[in-house]
Amino acid sequence: MLILLAGIFGIHIIGIIILLVATIDNVWWMTDEISTDVWARWIQTNGVWNLTDLPTGSHYPQDYLQAVQASSVLACIFSIIGIFVFVAQLFTLEKGQRFTISGAFQLLACLCIMIAAAIYTDRFHLDEKNGWYGHCFILAWIAFSLTFISSIIYFVLRKKTA
Amino acid sequence: MLTFVALASVLLLGIVPEQTEAIAIYTGWERHALLGSDIRLSCSFFSWRLTSDDVTFSWTYRPDGSRDSISIFHYTSGQAYVDNKGPFRDRVEFVGNPGKRDGSILIKNLDYNDNGTFTCDAKNPPDIVGRPSSVRLLVFETVPIQAGVITGAIIGVVLGLLVLIVVIYYLMRFLVARRVFSLSVSKHGKKKREGSQARQGPAPTADPTKVKAASSEKKKQESRKDKK
Repeated sequence: MLILLAGIFGIHIIGIIILLVATIDNVWWMTDEISTDVWARWIQTNGVWNLTDLPTGSHYPQDYLQAVQASSVLACIFSIIGIFVFVAQLFTLEKGQRFTISGAFQLLACLCIMIAAAIYTDRFHLDEKNGWYGHCFILAWIAFSLTFISSIIYFVLRKKTA
Repeated sequence: MLTFVALASVLLLGIVPEQTEAIAIYTGWERHALLGSDIRLSCSFFSWRLTSDDVTFSWTYRPDGSRDSISIFHYTSGQAYVDNKGPFRDRVEFVGNPGKRDGSILIKNLDYNDNGTFTCDAKNPPDIVGRPSSVRLLVFETVPIQAGVITGAIIGVVLGLLVLIVVIYYLMRFLVARRVFSLSVSKHGKKKREGSQARQGPAPTADPTKVKAASSEKKKQESRKDKK
């Protein structure tokens, strides 16, 4: 029983960590000289990395960028609130009841990170041939599936002992 | 052990005053202003010494793309001296309070030529060692929205909606429970009056509003019965 609890807690924490890394670290799209994410861009000139603003233009739409920023931050916030709500529900739920509120928060986090990753995939770097998606982008999609699984577990799980 | 403590305290006492003697000057980092408006450039300082009577403030201006600075304001011995020959003649006003360590100036009627860096240098004798601080002025026709504002607004609105939904949910539960409680108490009261002597039923909750509502309902029922 305790192992199950530890496993569920562990999945949630790993989800939070992956979400935070994907939002904060600077590796959504990379080429040989640049490394960019939703906040700023690192450009390497003569072996020195410089931090610059993101380019503005038709191939880098500003409003979609803000939507990606806002929803990835919201996903982190919902997931962190969810872990606190889960711990609270562990102690206050009656026997036989489901962890619906924690599951709802995790589902909201899943939805938000899905919005962020989907918009980024669909609207950015459409016609840039040289370059590849960095590890943070992949982590964002992994976070989506982890939070989804986590929320399903919360919706199905019942409290066994008081 | 004692010698070690003594040595350490002497060392600390020797190091700490040297670090705390520098004066720290604070201005903004960047200021945005509309063409033709006035802007207040704030400058304040922190010093471990008391504010002396010989405190001085001086502002210098360096236009964008130039390497020369020109002095535009100086305050010393209780007197403020403003620019009367340079690019800011008759446009600078002293709005600070030296007693409160504030050396802010007001620049009126801004123009595109006023884009540049303003440096504030404050001295509080004998505390004179410090780095001047600079603020960059940008003059716009229309002030643009900063990049992070829209993102922050979206996040704030969503979280606010969430809090609102939670509050409304708990409010509905509270109201429904109160309605159910007052109805059940009035029914209970009727039954008891029809039976034998009524004894005071204990209120299930200690909420005074609920008890008041219940008692007012009871009184209404009684007056209605009396009228009949």
